[in-house]
Amino acid sequence: MNIFVALQIGLREIAAHKFRSVLSMLGIVLGVSSLISTLALTTGIERGTRAFMQQVGGLEYVNIVNKEISSAKFEFWNLSPGRTLRDAMAIKATAPLISHVSPELGLGAVIAAQDHSDRKFVRGVFPDYFVVGRHEIKAGRFLTDLDVERGLRSAVIGDEIASILWPGLKAEDIVGRQIRINDSPFEVVGVLPKYERDEEKRRRDAGKVETPSKMSRRWDPFRGKNEAILIPFSTMFYEFRAGAFPLDSMESVRLDGLTVRVGDISKFRAALDQIRAALEITHRGVDDFDLDTREEWFDRMESSIRATKLSGGLIATISLVVGGIGIMNIMLASISERVREIGIRLAVGAMGRDIFIQIIVESVAIAFIGGLLGVLAAIGLMEILKMLAPTENAPIMTLGGILFSVGFAILAGFLSGIYPALRASRLNPISALRYE
Amino acid sequence: MSLIHLEGVSKFYQVGDQEIRALDSVDLRIEEGEFVSIIGPSGSGKSTLMHLLGCLDAPTSGRMEICGNDLSKASQNRLASVRNREIGFVFQAFNLLPRLDVIHNVELPLVYSGLPSAERRARAEKAARDVGLGDRLANRPVQLSGGQCQRVAIARALVNNPRIVFGDEPTGNLDSATGEMILQMFKDLNAGGKTIVLVTHDPDIAGISRRVIEIRDGKILREYAP
Ligand SMILES: Nc1ncnc2c1ncn2[C@@H]1O[C@H](COP(=O)(O)OP(=O)(O)OP(=O)(O)O)[C@@H](O)[C@H]1O
Ligand SMILES: [Mg+2]
Repeated sequence: MNIFVALQIGLREIAAHKFRSVLSMLGIVLGVSSLISTLALTTGIERGTRAFMQQVGGLEYVNIVNKEISSAKFEFWNLSPGRTLRDAMAIKATAPLISHVSPELGLGAVIAAQDHSDRKFVRGVFPDYFVVGRHEIKAGRFLTDLDVERGLRSAVIGDEIASILWPGLKAEDIVGRQIRINDSPFEVVGVLPKYERDEEKRRRDAGKVETPSKMSRRWDPFRGKNEAILIPFSTMFYEFRAGAFPLDSMESVRLDGLTVRVGDISKFRAALDQIRAALEITHRGVDDFDLDTREEWFDRMESSIRATKLSGGLIATISLVVGGIGIMNIMLASISERVREIGIRLAVGAMGRDIFIQIIVESVAIAFIGGLLGVLAAIGLMEILKMLAPTENAPIMTLGGILFSVGFAILAGFLSGIYPALRASRLNPISALRYE
Repeated sequence: MSLIHLEGVSKFYQVGDQEIRALDSVDLRIEEGEFVSIIGPSGSGKSTLMHLLGCLDAPTSGRMEICGNDLSKASQNRLASVRNREIGFVFQAFNLLPRLDVIHNVELPLVYSGLPSAERRARAEKAARDVGLGDRLANRPVQLSGGQCQRVAIARALVNNPRIVFGDEPTGNLDSATGEMILQMFKDLNAGGKTIVLVTHDPDIAGISRRVIEIRDGKILREYAP
């Protein structure tokens, strides 16, 4: 028997028992819609998180931090010079797996331009800072080696600083203007773009303006980047530090920050070892530093995504199994109601496998229709979710997710049709004909 | 060679520890073009014999050859393909599919011979017209009279152009006038060359055939020409 004939028979059967068929589809509808929703939600979260991770420096970002020395070894503390420029130079010279090294000095300072002034945090950095911190430039340029060599009074400022000091002015027009840091004049050579999360972008695109108080209450991972005031490392040292600590040279001054970027993420472990080896020497064997990586943090995010996927997938699988059992139940009821019909078909020459195909096709058709309804339900569900919580990572429905879910439903329909189909196909024509 | 050839064919049913000999060592030959009736009282084994001859079942023992196929030990699939090609059934209870209209009921055997749908339709339409139902093709069985239903069943039995047509009490559910008409159709078929086997408990009906086989307790009691 032709599969199309079987499909025709199946669809007629489904249409003849609409209510019963819809009931038997419910489990599949629920299963497919929850599977698609789970996939869409986790895809959304995954993409949002990935993009966010990239913007905060990615996995390549390693922060070298101070570590308290255990009290037993406290007398060694003085032996180590702590984090200095020598560390940076040592890493650059001996750790080829590290592509960029960014030492920095910090200073809380009064910044002023025109009639505005504010207390902000200023960093003295090298050009590598922009690579390690994944900065982009909106107008002007980054700091260069020349700025550092000559100790120029150049500054690159973040978007937030720009809008505090020159409200309403375009980034291009700010470049070249003067900013005063603790009364020393600097020239703004570059302005950074506004860094924001995807959800903020969406909210802005949706035309939702938020009150500043509400905005400040939310944790903003880009606040540091948006409030950046960056000047050359050397300028920072000679202008603001050398006077206060006359014994320090630029090489021996204790750094406020030391971050690096690993060149090849596939050799991450080896890269960390190279850093440790370099610092072992400069710190004279004193264990007063630690490598703070994003690894654990990222792992945690990944595993929470995985857990969401798993629990959603589990719920979806359970509802699909339940849906499959529902179909099996209906098919068994349907064939015991149609024993006589099957007997007639056998009497006119149907073979067992014709009956088998007919029942299987019918249960797959039920599952498929249920799956399509499930897709519609999932689309509706997603719209409702977007309406209720527009700020979260938007769910992303992929064609792959839809196909996978509907395919899963079809598989459930197929598997649950096997037993009823086997039973139907093994009916004896004579007893089936006699059946009342 | 005979169209139907049984040699020592038996059919036993095991019910609990009791063996029921529904057919007991039957020898029978039916030639192409014959019109045969099988009569006997209730429980004598008429239906059992017809099921074997109609390839709905295989015998417990003995040799059975139908239309040149040795079906003594045939599988259900083998039986199905022979009965699809060579055999048509007309039952007492019509046995039409209630959800299908006339044309689809008639074309049912062709669905399982794997014919393309256009050809199925053409042949089913011709078969329905031949039994005088050309104007009721879109009707469903509930919209037809008993006689019309039985004519649909006859059209269905003939649509595959089988060599043998079986009737199991085909007039049992009909009034006598309609029954007469159906029997006349069987006669006409036989006149056209079809082999007909009628199962009945009514000697009057058996009287229209040219050969009557009387069975009792699963055995052939006698054979006569009315
Ligand atoms: N599936 C079965 N299992 C057990 N016994 C059976 C089965 N089918 C038939 N029989 C028995 O075989 C015998 C012959 O039955 P069959 O149906 O052939 O009789 P029949 O001549 O057609 O009777 P009727 O005129 O009442 O239809 C009966 O005794 C019946 O009980
Ligand atoms: Mg009988």
